Amino acid sequence: MTRKRKDYFTAFLFILPSLIGIAIFYIVPYIICFIKSLYIGQNFVGLTNYIQLFSNNTFLLALKNTAVFTVIAIPLLMVISFLLALFLNSFEKISSFFSSSFLIPVVVPIASLICVWQVVFDDYGAVNGLLNTLEFYTVEFFSSEFSMVMIIFIYVWKYCGFCVILFTAGLANVPKSLYESARLDGANSFQLVTKVTIPMITPTVFFVFLMEIIYSFKIFREVFALFGDYPNENVYFLQNFINNNYYNLNYPRLSSASIILSLFIIIVLLVFFIFERKHSVSE
Amino acid sequence: MKKIIKYIFLLLITAIFLFPVVFMIACSFMSSSQISEMLDFANGEYKNLNMIPEMFSLEQFYQVFFRRPEYLLKFWNSVIVTFPTVIGQVVVSSLAAFAFAKLKFPFRDKLFFAYIVLLILPLQVTLVPNYIILDNMDLLNNFLAIILPGTFSAFGICLLRQSIKYIPDSSIEAARIDGASYFKIFTRIILPQIKSGLVTLTLLCFIDNWNVVEQPLIYFDNSTMYPLSIMMSEIGNSDYGIIFACGVMFMIPALIIYFYGHRDIDLSFSDSEK
Repeated sequence: MTRKRKDYFTAFLFILPSLIGIAIFYIVPYIICFIKSLYIGQNFVGLTNYIQLFSNNTFLLALKNTAVFTVIAIPLLMVISFLLALFLNSFEKISSFFSSSFLIPVVVPIASLICVWQVVFDDYGAVNGLLNTLEFYTVEFFSSEFSMVMIIFIYVWKYCGFCVILFTAGLANVPKSLYESARLDGANSFQLVTKVTIPMITPTVFFVFLMEIIYSFKIFREVFALFGDYPNENVYFLQNFINNNYYNLNYPRLSSASIILSLFIIIVLLVFFIFERKHSVSE
Repeated sequence: MKKIIKYIFLLLITAIFLFPVVFMIACSFMSSSQISEMLDFANGEYKNLNMIPEMFSLEQFYQVFFRRPEYLLKFWNSVIVTFPTVIGQVVVSSLAAFAFAKLKFPFRDKLFFAYIVLLILPLQVTLVPNYIILDNMDLLNNFLAIILPGTFSAFGICLLRQSIKYIPDSSIEAARIDGASYFKIFTRIILPQIKSGLVTLTLLCFIDNWNVVEQPLIYFDNSTMYPLSIMMSEIGNSDYGIIFACGVMFMIPALIIYFYGHRDIDLSFSDSEK
């Protein structure tokens, strides 16, 4: 019993530095944020801020766009990077040049890439030049519903290589013998992937999913750099909404929007966390 | 034949990933007139993506290094903000990640879940309250205002917990039976085995702080303290040439760390051959 308690104490010591920092810089701010969401000025108003938020058209638009982006971009990125990881894994030996270049999009600073995207996606840019030669209409990437397509493309392009590297690291941990015995049992290559690979790399899938969510918030930096404070209605995300209210320091609206966003994330994560604990092989 | 197609496909993907960097480097050696011609969107002609400078020119680098020393100053600010954050985060998170991955204590999973939630909260949520706390601690207009919150980001803990989880429990138990303390297990068994995780964390944490934009704008009154990342977005449309030269200069530290460490990240490829 004492031994066990001593172990708890050691574990606690390992966490202590991070716990102190997290408490000061994250937990306390979060609580302050929640309290602020219940007030207007000095008056306690309960959930009024939340109710008002849901009758705000701009907020609903931002919510809709964020949902569309999340539902399309995250699974898309997941599937593409998983397939690419399988593809890389199928090489017997691969020059490190290729794998190195996969992380390049994450490494390059955002501000300098903006010029590149403008040259590519402008009304008279490279893509439209190509489309017109193939006798398609000009696509206005900066002022139509195709803005979303462009943002999703940039998101997938930027983080794809990173996710591929994470997936290959996970794939490397799957023992070769598992594949061999499954093949002896007569499994085809599709079954190998669905029945052996995916269950074995569930922790990695969970981790990639987590990273994708985190990075999906950071796409705001690109939207901001490409469109400024008020992007067209197709790419007006929740983060734009929060940011714009941040400029006029509308604390009640700001904090209630943040709390709703966090609640949404917590629910998604909770589902995934339970899923991971049920299916994780390593535990 | 199949092999050739596979290699062509691989080359194609790599080209897509590498394109912007090559483009940026190429542009940084162009004369400013060629760049403005290429980036002039008003004249209604299709833009050509020129990868080859018409005339090899160091004009823009000359501008950055000798004419506009403020850019070098900002570069140094970026260094001051980034390096302590990276070192702090690697130390703090590797300790905590070990406890979360391998030690047992009450509320472990619940606490970890709380960490994940904190990790994914968008920056905009914590920015205002953070400001109030930093103000009380008298840390505004101090580089610590960015360094301290960055050090305690939960990101590293999640990443390293992932690497440590793959280390078999048996090796830790064996060391316990031999009488090793947990700290000794941490330094002798865990750390050497998560080298690739540590390198990955260093790189990602570096990039994230290197690109910092929001915090300095709010925490610093004095724009001489701004890092280069902000300057780059503020140079605006007028001075594309300088952006490309600065962009290349800005990229170099990240690339150095990356190419120094990429062997460890790539270990995943060689492992699978066994």
